[in-house]
Order: sequence, then structure tokens, then C-alpha cells
Amino acid sequence: MKFWEIGKRNLKEISRNPVLLGFLLGMPLAFMLVFSAVAGGAQAGPIALSVVDEDRSQKSSLFIQYLGIVEAIKLNEPIYSEESQAQEDLEDGKISFYLLIPSGFEEAQQTQQTINLELVYKAADPTTGLQLKPIIEAVGSEFLGVAPLLNVDLKGTESKIRNPAVNFYFPGIAVYGIMILISTAAEIIAGDREKGFLARMFTTPARPSDFILGYSVPFIPVLIISTLIYLGVGMALGLTVVGNLGYAFLFFFLIGLCSIGIGMIVGSLIKSESQAGVSWLFIVPMAMISGAWFSVDLMPSAVRGVAGALPFIHAIDGSRAVINGASLSAVMPDLYWLVGWAVILFAAGIMLFRRTMVS
Amino acid sequence: MNAVQTFKLTKEFDGLVAVNGIDLEIKKGELFSLLGPNGAGKTTAIRMLCCLLKPTRGSASILGYDIVKTPFAVKNLIGVSPQDTILSERLNCWENLALIGKVHGLSSHKVKERSKELLETMGLVERSKDQVRKFSGGMKRRLSVAMALVSDPQVLFLDEPTLGLDPQARRTIWEYIAGLKGKKTILLTTHYMEEADSLSDRIGIIDEGRVVALGTSQELKTNTFDVRNMVVSTEKLTAEVIADLHNKYSRVAMTKGELKISHKDLDFKEIVDYLHSKGVTVYSAALEQPTLEDVFIQITGKKLRD
Repeated sequence: MKFWEIGKRNLKEISRNPVLLGFLLGMPLAFMLVFSAVAGGAQAGPIALSVVDEDRSQKSSLFIQYLGIVEAIKLNEPIYSEESQAQEDLEDGKISFYLLIPSGFEEAQQTQQTINLELVYKAADPTTGLQLKPIIEAVGSEFLGVAPLLNVDLKGTESKIRNPAVNFYFPGIAVYGIMILISTAAEIIAGDREKGFLARMFTTPARPSDFILGYSVPFIPVLIISTLIYLGVGMALGLTVVGNLGYAFLFFFLIGLCSIGIGMIVGSLIKSESQAGVSWLFIVPMAMISGAWFSVDLMPSAVRGVAGALPFIHAIDGSRAVINGASLSAVMPDLYWLVGWAVILFAAGIMLFRRTMVS
Repeated sequence: MNAVQTFKLTKEFDGLVAVNGIDLEIKKGELFSLLGPNGAGKTTAIRMLCCLLKPTRGSASILGYDIVKTPFAVKNLIGVSPQDTILSERLNCWENLALIGKVHGLSSHKVKERSKELLETMGLVERSKDQVRKFSGGMKRRLSVAMALVSDPQVLFLDEPTLGLDPQARRTIWEYIAGLKGKKTILLTTHYMEEADSLSDRIGIIDEGRVVALGTSQELKTNTFDVRNMVVSTEKLTAEVIADLHNKYSRVAMTKGELKISHKDLDFKEIVDYLHSKGVTVYSAALEQPTLEDVFIQITGKKLRD
């Protein structure tokens, strides 16, 4: 159990380093608090919504009335009858966005045809629109009995979600928090190499696999503790776990393994502890294009393609879906991607680590 | 079987030859010192023997195990104290020693026993439970040496083990190393000539990657200098006597009442008798022994730095 001795040493080095721990756990917490507060956290008020009712039917009036009694929405007066008026006000900045109920709404509902609602917002601020989308969907699907109105993936469970913003941001920020392990693992490995500690250890009979395990195992408790802390804070901010939390943990665990693998690769390639900062050039863009903070729907297809090939988006999408009620079978493709990446990254980590042992 | 055996051991870095075809044979239980100026190739040679660097050419073995083909067998037999004091800074002494001991496969009981003995020897018992990042440089150095010894290795590589230590601590480590002579094979590099002189069974002087001199301290001194020096404290020395001495001996110098004579096969008694016969007062006369540093400078033409 040589790896365990190396692992114990690394765990002690991490747990006795308050700066490292504070950064590892504190930064994602700060992100979660800020995002939740800014984008509709526990203290946020209802979102002001303007409506254009082109249908002017009994059904559309009922729908608008119902929207008005949803806590998260504050309906703006008056209700527009022409879209052009709403467009003008949007351009003037008098309103942030409006919901367009097209003519034919009642008829489509009665004949059970697809209803297309449009949520029009200023492109400069897409985030609030994204928050509204599931709320309007929930109202539509649960109380009007119509099929999903807008093109979203969440399936009929949104009404149970107390705070959609927190449910949207939590998985992304948790994954981002776990991605910090990339920089931490790289920093520890590069630091130990720079100071000569690894060279000293390489003169002992420990094998490459002992080092790989010894430098990855200590991050597992860190990963579990940090995920629990994020979860606790998320719950306090209004996170609603509709689905299976264990499945979400599985996603967090797998992306944690991928992150540790990347950290080992970076740590083996860079020359010094201070160079571990380069991992942020990877972490921040990856978190961004993987939908940690913004929906990937807002991004060009090429960017989505790149993100889709990497593991992070699968961890975020998968954990977000299972928290919101998706079954494990529904997220299996995401799981396969993550397992595949974890295997590839660890294999690459072992290969590079072995290379650093003898020069 | 030799404990350490190298055959034309060579290491090149991008065409720069750091170690150039070294042939060494260190017997079991021998304490062998490797001396050389900075950049001579000492640490590179040790790093190859510890399986941290692959030789470009040549080969080496530790107790019969090839350093390239069987590195893990070699690593089981060796203990290394690197030139820089490399410790796990947020661990205490016990934890640092346990890490190395257990990675070498020692039981918890054995690790505890060895650690206790070493911490007492190195005078670290009182601070043994403090994180080592709070230690002075000397304390760290002593712990680093203890870490090399904790696994009770058969072959010890000590790269500047007493660098930066105060005289008391240095002497404690010397005594401990001296106590290991005959039981362990030790390859030592040092900048302290006194250390190499008093501890070593044999000394190798390495310069520009080559072993340029090899032997016991006495052999090196005798073989390096074919001229003997004599220092005489005198009075009433006349110009005639000095001229006579100049004619007879290869080098004669007079400074502040001290006469220094250098010559191959110099005869101590003959000189003293000659001076007496000429009425010169001789207060004292002594043959001057070359030091290991004289040998070193004579051979390498450089002074040790750092």
C-alpha cells in the first residue's frame, strides 16, 4: 500500500494548507452566492413580464391571469394587443422582454396542436429570459394542459422547482468548483517536482501507479466534501432536488476524476508550481462553453461542438437533468462520455508521470 | 561483488558531457567520497546511480543490480540524502520518516523504532511533532539525512549531508556516518575537505565529468606532490647560508623569520644539521604535510565554491 502512504502525505499537505483549501472551496461558494443573488436567488424578487396577446381569446386571457398569480412573475400592465408596441418599448428600454401569445392560441389548444409562444428579450441580457423559460413552460404544461410550449429539454417536472435559477446554476457552478481540482492537482505535482520532493520519492521503490494513486486518492475526500458543501449552500439558496441526488453525485465524482487526471497531465508538463496558473486558461473557457454559467443554447454550434466533445458539458447537463428529475437511462450518453474521458485522462496521466520519473 | 560498480558511465545533456566515462568500483562497507568543483558531474553521477537519470552510455550496478534494467531492485537497496533539503513541509518529523520508511516496505513498528533512534541521534526529539516548515535550515538538513537512513539501506548516497550545519551538528553527523563504516556502503559528496579526509576509505576527485584522481587520502597526497616542504623558524640566517640552500634545493623562501624549503626527497635531518653547523639558531623545524585541499586544488586547479 505504498500509494496510501503517498496519498496520506498529500492529504495532510492539502488539509494543513488553509490558503489552498480556502481557494478550493471558497471560490465556487462565492460564485454560487453571487450568481444566485444576481440571477434570482433566495432574495430575488419576481421577474417583471410584459405580454402581447394577439389571440385576445378567453383562453389567452386565462393563461395571462394564471401567469399573474405565479409568484416568480410580476405581470406588467398593460397587456399589449400589438407586438409592434411591445417591440417599441423593448427598444426604448421600458421593458426587458415580452411574451408573445400568437393568434390561434385558443384554437391550437382546443385542437391539441403545437403552440408556439415566443419570449422576446434583448440579446444583451439573455439570462433572465432563460430563467423565465422554464417558469412559463411549467405554467403552460401544468395548468393549461398543453405540450411544452418552448423548445426546452426539461420534462414536466419544473413546477416542483422552487427556484429555477438555483437549479440552473447549481450543477454548473458545482462542476466549475470541481474543475478547480485541475489547478490544485497541477500545482501540488509541479510544486513537488520543482522542490525536488518527487525526485526524492523517485529514489524509493514506489512505482508509477503508486504515485498516480497517491496523488489522486487524496482529492476524492476533497471532492466529496466540496460537493456536499456546494449542495448544502445550494439547498439553502433554494435548490430543489426533484430527481436522484446519488446520480448527480456520480456525475460530480466522474468529472472530479477527469479533473484530477487533467491536473496530473498539466502538473507533469509544466516546469514549476507558479506555472499551474496556466490551467485557468483552460478551466474558465471550458466552464463557460460547457454551460456552467450560461446556457449552451446561446452559443454558436461550432462552440457547442467543441464543448460536446469534452467531458465538462456532459457533467453539467447530466447532473442538471438528474437533479431536475431525469432518469439515469436518459443521461446514459453523458455518463459514457465521462467514463470514457476519465479512463483516457488517467491513462495519459500515468504515461506522462512515468516519463517524469527518469530523464 | 562490488556494492557500486560503474563501467564507462556517461551522461550527456544536449551534447554537453556532464559525466564522461566514469569507472568506479566501491566495495561493500566502503565509505567513498566524491570530490569535485561545482559542475564537475558529482550530482549527475549520483542521480544516475539512484535511477533518476538514464545513462547516455555505459552501465552501472548496485550490489549486482543494473540501474537501467532493474531500477526498483536498486531502489530497494539505497537510501538517498539529496543535496537540497527536501522534506514534506507540512508534515512533522515522524510523518516524514514514516513516509520514506513505509514506502520502503518497513512495518509501522520498525519505522517507529528507527525513527526514534534517528531523531535522538540528530537531536530532533523535542521538535519532532512540529511541522518541519517551521524548522531552521540545520534542523531540516539533519532530518533529511535521517530520512535517507530510516529504511536501513545497504547503500547510502549522501550528497553534501552537512552543508550549512553548525560545527556541533556537523560533528554529530560525522560521528554517526563513521559508525556506519564497514556496515553500510556509503557514497559521499562533500565540500568539506576535513569531512572527506577523516571519514573516507577512498576518495575520487572528479573534474569535467572524469575521475582525475582516485585513492586513499594519503595516497592522493603522496602521489600528487612529489615535493616535500619544510618550515624552519630561525634567527641569524646569513646571505651565504641562503645562497647555499638556493643552490641545493629547488625552492627556498624566507618570510618573517620563517624559512620554507621545498624539494623532492627532502632530508629533514640534513637541513637541520647544516643550519646548526653554520651557527644559525633553529627555534623549530617541521615537515609540512599537504592537505586534501592542496591535492584538490593541485589536481583541479579550482577552489570549491558554495
